[in-house]
Amino acid sequence: MKTKKKFPVFRIVNGLIFIILALIIIIPMWKILVDSFDLKTAYGMKLWPENFGLAGYVSVFRNPTLFRPLVISFITTILGTILALTLSTLGAYVLIQWEMPGRTFFANFLLFTMIFNGGMIPTYLVLSSMHLTNTLLVVILFPALNVYNLVLMRNFFEGIPQSLFESATLDGCSPMQTFIRIVLPMSKAALASIGLMYAVTYWNDYTHYKLYITDSKWYNFQMKLRSVIMGSDLPQSTGGATENTVKNAAIIVVIIPFMLLYPFLQKYFVKGVNIGAVKE
Amino acid sequence: MKKTKTAVPKQKISGAKLWAKIYKYRGFYLMFLPVFVFAIIFSYLPMLGIVLGFTDYNGIKDPTFVGFKHFERMFKMANFWSAFANTIVISLVKLILTTLFAVIVSLLLNEIVNLHFKKVVQTIIYLPHFMSWVVTASIFSLILAPTNHGLVNTFLVNIGVLDANNMIYFLGSEKWWRFAYYIINIWKETGWQTVIFMATLAGINTELYEAAAIDGAGRWNKMRFITFPALANTILTVFILNLAKVMNLFESAFVLQNDAVLGTANVLETYIYYQTFNSGAIPNYGYTTAIGLFKSLVGCVLVLVCNQWSKKVREGRGIV
Repeated sequence: MKTKKKFPVFRIVNGLIFIILALIIIIPMWKILVDSFDLKTAYGMKLWPENFGLAGYVSVFRNPTLFRPLVISFITTILGTILALTLSTLGAYVLIQWEMPGRTFFANFLLFTMIFNGGMIPTYLVLSSMHLTNTLLVVILFPALNVYNLVLMRNFFEGIPQSLFESATLDGCSPMQTFIRIVLPMSKAALASIGLMYAVTYWNDYTHYKLYITDSKWYNFQMKLRSVIMGSDLPQSTGGATENTVKNAAIIVVIIPFMLLYPFLQKYFVKGVNIGAVKE
Repeated sequence: MKKTKTAVPKQKISGAKLWAKIYKYRGFYLMFLPVFVFAIIFSYLPMLGIVLGFTDYNGIKDPTFVGFKHFERMFKMANFWSAFANTIVISLVKLILTTLFAVIVSLLLNEIVNLHFKKVVQTIIYLPHFMSWVVTASIFSLILAPTNHGLVNTFLVNIGVLDANNMIYFLGSEKWWRFAYYIINIWKETGWQTVIFMATLAGINTELYEAAAIDGAGRWNKMRFITFPALANTILTVFILNLAKVMNLFESAFVLQNDAVLGTANVLETYIYYQTFNSGAIPNYGYTTAIGLFKSLVGCVLVLVCNQWSKKVREGRGIV
């Protein structure tokens, strides 16, 4: 038996490995954070800013060309998440009506969009012929129907006892009433998980803006950050912040809302992955 | 798609009965309407647009039918083949590397005894997954910059590996780009990929470990004969699921590439993008639609093959 007490080499090495891994994740972010507060151009890695100052952030928030995209990011994220959740819960609820004529057709109709798509250019031409390009509508509406998440939601709904639906119908509830009074309240965990995934997707969206929006008036913060970093669109620095400080501050501003919420939300994200996985 | 829960007996129902049933479900059809409309507008209308691949179309004049001209031209273009090869190689290597790292990290994570430490570690390594590709690219373009701001280059200079006048422009040289791209992907996605593996590991019956300990198995043998086999099916599943998406590579490559590295970094979707929106000339939507159609078809075949494969290894469960 190998249970004799010995020096726990493995545990220590393993612990060290994870400390190093955690540092590899943290150091790049820490470097950005430190530099965003450092008014002088920072060389190498420092634990704390040398010339502490908030000028980088002042320049982000005072500058209308940076503040407007931030607001656009918030608005599209909120509206997009609500719309996307509405579509995936409605669709999922209809797909668990096993006796409904045409159910299989509807399911295949949606699944086919996961297998085949028209591609970048036809999609662009359709959206542009509908005059959706260069409006915020396109970045809210276009990503809203996510069949993958709809299927996850359907898997979750399948776990709700059918008898609940039946008794609701007997009590005279319409399908919509059953949906709002029974299905949604019983799915809070799935709504939180999938809703958060949508929120992250909308907040992080860059591709749809890049493809469908050319007017910088409608840029979200990701687009703006991109042009700031590429150097084509540096905002006027104020209060003695260097270009580098402003760049770093802009990165921090776009990740900070999520970073603050993340420790509290992490478990919902993990649950979201397992909605699909647990279902065997 | 899985089979329906309640097997509906396939019998001829009379027309009147069917209509009665449809009427009974009218509320549900109404609820499905918005989903239906979204799918039609944003997925099916663009699918009709693939016919443009057989025409010359510049957005101003009406499209004129040209048959397979664009496909013939495309198959002769060296840039097209290089983008195609890049797509396959970059996607596959990225997939294999992140999966491999995720498996190793999961196995080690599973050995951590202190639950608080484990939780802190998990919270940290999941984090980069939620950052956008723009943010990730911004961070790494600053970290990897060939200047005194660049963390990696200054570090390499400080330890004497590099000369201060010969810093490496990792994201701007064909030699280094893919290496940097893989590292960034591993940094961003390894942690989150462990979630699914950890879920599998949590499901392993602890009695197996106890029995193995009685038989004298050490840590290594337990890992080899219990943990790893339990993971194997999940690894294959994750691999198949991601293999189906190999052709879709766009955003991560797009935000990290620049003109200097297009030879090694250009993938089909970015090639289509540049050809259409960045070529300087009036775009020929017909040509780029044709490339997109080719891409979609290859992707479609991949999904179907992966679906069959998935059904084999996952007892009938497909991926779509």
